[in-house]
Amino acid sequence: MATISIPNPAPSAIEDAEKLRKAFQGWGTDEMTMIDVLAHRNAAQRKQIKIVYEEQYEEKLLKRIESEISGHFERAVYLWIFDPVERQAIMANIAIESKVFDFPVIIEIACVNSPNELLAVKQVYQSLYKRSLEEDVASHTTGDFCKLLFALVGTYRYDGEEINTELANTEAKILNDAITKGQFNDNEIIRILSTRSKAQLNTTFNCYKDAQNRSITKALSTETPNDFAIVLRAAIRCMNNPKKYFDKVFRRTLQKSGTDEDTLTRLVLTHAEKDLKEIKELFQTRTNMTLEQAVAKKTSGDYKNFLLALIGN
Amino acid sequence: MADENQLLKKAFSGHGGFGVDEATMVAMVTKWRRQPDQKSRFRRDFSEFFTTIGSIEKCEDDYLLRLKTEFSRFKNIMVLWLMHPWERDARWMHHVMHKSYPFTVIIEIACTRSSEELLGAKRAYQALFDHSVEEDVAYHIKENYSKLLVGLVSSFRYEGSQVDNEMAKCEAKALNSAIKSAGSGKLIQNEEIVRILTTRSKRHLKAIFKHYKELHGKPIEEDLGANLCLQETVKCIDRPAKYFSEAINNAFKEGADKQSKIALTRVIISRADVDMEVIKETYHKQFGIKLEDMITKNTHGHYKDALLSLVGK
Repeated sequence: MATISIPNPAPSAIEDAEKLRKAFQGWGTDEMTMIDVLAHRNAAQRKQIKIVYEEQYEEKLLKRIESEISGHFERAVYLWIFDPVERQAIMANIAIESKVFDFPVIIEIACVNSPNELLAVKQVYQSLYKRSLEEDVASHTTGDFCKLLFALVGTYRYDGEEINTELANTEAKILNDAITKGQFNDNEIIRILSTRSKAQLNTTFNCYKDAQNRSITKALSTETPNDFAIVLRAAIRCMNNPKKYFDKVFRRTLQKSGTDEDTLTRLVLTHAEKDLKEIKELFQTRTNMTLEQAVAKKTSGDYKNFLLALIGN
Repeated sequence: MADENQLLKKAFSGHGGFGVDEATMVAMVTKWRRQPDQKSRFRRDFSEFFTTIGSIEKCEDDYLLRLKTEFSRFKNIMVLWLMHPWERDARWMHHVMHKSYPFTVIIEIACTRSSEELLGAKRAYQALFDHSVEEDVAYHIKENYSKLLVGLVSSFRYEGSQVDNEMAKCEAKALNSAIKSAGSGKLIQNEEIVRILTTRSKRHLKAIFKHYKELHGKPIEEDLGANLCLQETVKCIDRPAKYFSEAINNAFKEGADKQSKIALTRVIISRADVDMEVIKETYHKQFGIKLEDMITKNTHGHYKDALLSLVGK
């Protein structure tokens, strides 16, 4: 469930646009009003505000925001205004073009979304960047990472519930054979993970656990750090139990030293209008702290206030 | 008498060609009404179909099978004509995969359909067979071809007009290096070749092929050697009308096999509403005879009439 709270009835887009305009005018910016309005509107409402603002004031809302605020706060508000599909396309492009390819972003987009959601992201990506997501992923990665990511991002999985238990058992065995040999980049692993439907894969993971007495992600844990295995495990977790996966990413991000605002922003924004409620519950069970407390500890100022508003304060 | 026998033999495909001449058959039934001797004489005259054993002329099993195929051509073309194009493509791909026929059909469909048409075919495939086409291709097709074919079939190419010419030149050079460095048997598994062919937009690829010819003095097909899959991929993307025109011609060749002959129905049905005029022009230029005339010469009965109507006068 989403954590953002929207007033009922919500003010009209014209009222909201006016409020934002007032917040921009004069010296400085009224960040509280910005947060008050934007953090409490859903994607459709935000889109309307954008349109109305431009009609009324003859300037683009995003451009104005960029000039009014800065830093992590600005980046978060900027990304938040887009709807989830556009946001993912933009984040994918950022991940691809950054100095170090940001694998988790692509893995999450490719593996958490349903086939049609992923397709929607790919369509928006094409209209924004005039290239396909696949071609950008493929041209910015090499070797095994390229093989895996390209396969995960390019596929259009069967979306139904039909499964074949016999096949699941066979493929669980194939996976185990490759894993025990330490051949994590085996073509069969990539074939199975990237082409089978999620229902079929989850059956396969269950068969794996039954046969081997440990989960497949445990089996992929290595003594020596192995970047490829990390990416593989992330992909499997995203497909198998995304909420648990994101709880883990939140914990990792909030518990390490320093603050990784980019990841934090991505996590909060992506899930605030989706399933942050359940992730929060998991987080609290695992850490004995609420997500709000943990985020408040690691962030400050308007950025903190914005995130907390989205998380459901 | 002898003339009538010849006529009926031809109607039963005794003289080769596609389809059967239903009208002549029915006319003979009328003519030879209550004349079993007439039929007896015909059977003795038609040695490809009948063998005398004792006092009767028995049907040859082989010929019966051939007849089944020839009679079915009209049925097939009519059913296919009615079918939604996406279902047609889905069924063709499924058929080829499960019978282990050469995968030219898969390459043809993956490379000549638009992104929307290919997506539609993939959706139809899932609805019909409860599997994605990617998972079936990955599973059924031998490993060394699988990279290329899975890539082609899962592609959702950018279809806009933007082309990065510098990148196209770069990739033309990259293809040339890849071709030179990989052994000829390994071309189809080469990562660069597969990446470029399966992810870039068609416009971009056409630009690459153009630059390739300019930079290296010969079309890329020449350097691809005996690699039929790669040749076909390039042709389907770069000059689909030529590909289709050659597929049609192969069907009419002396000694053409079953798969080549089936291509006649498939190409004409799938292109009738798309680019048949261009194909006809290409055919005429390439082979010196109008497509309509070739069809009239080599096919019979309702099948012939259907083909001519589809091809357009």
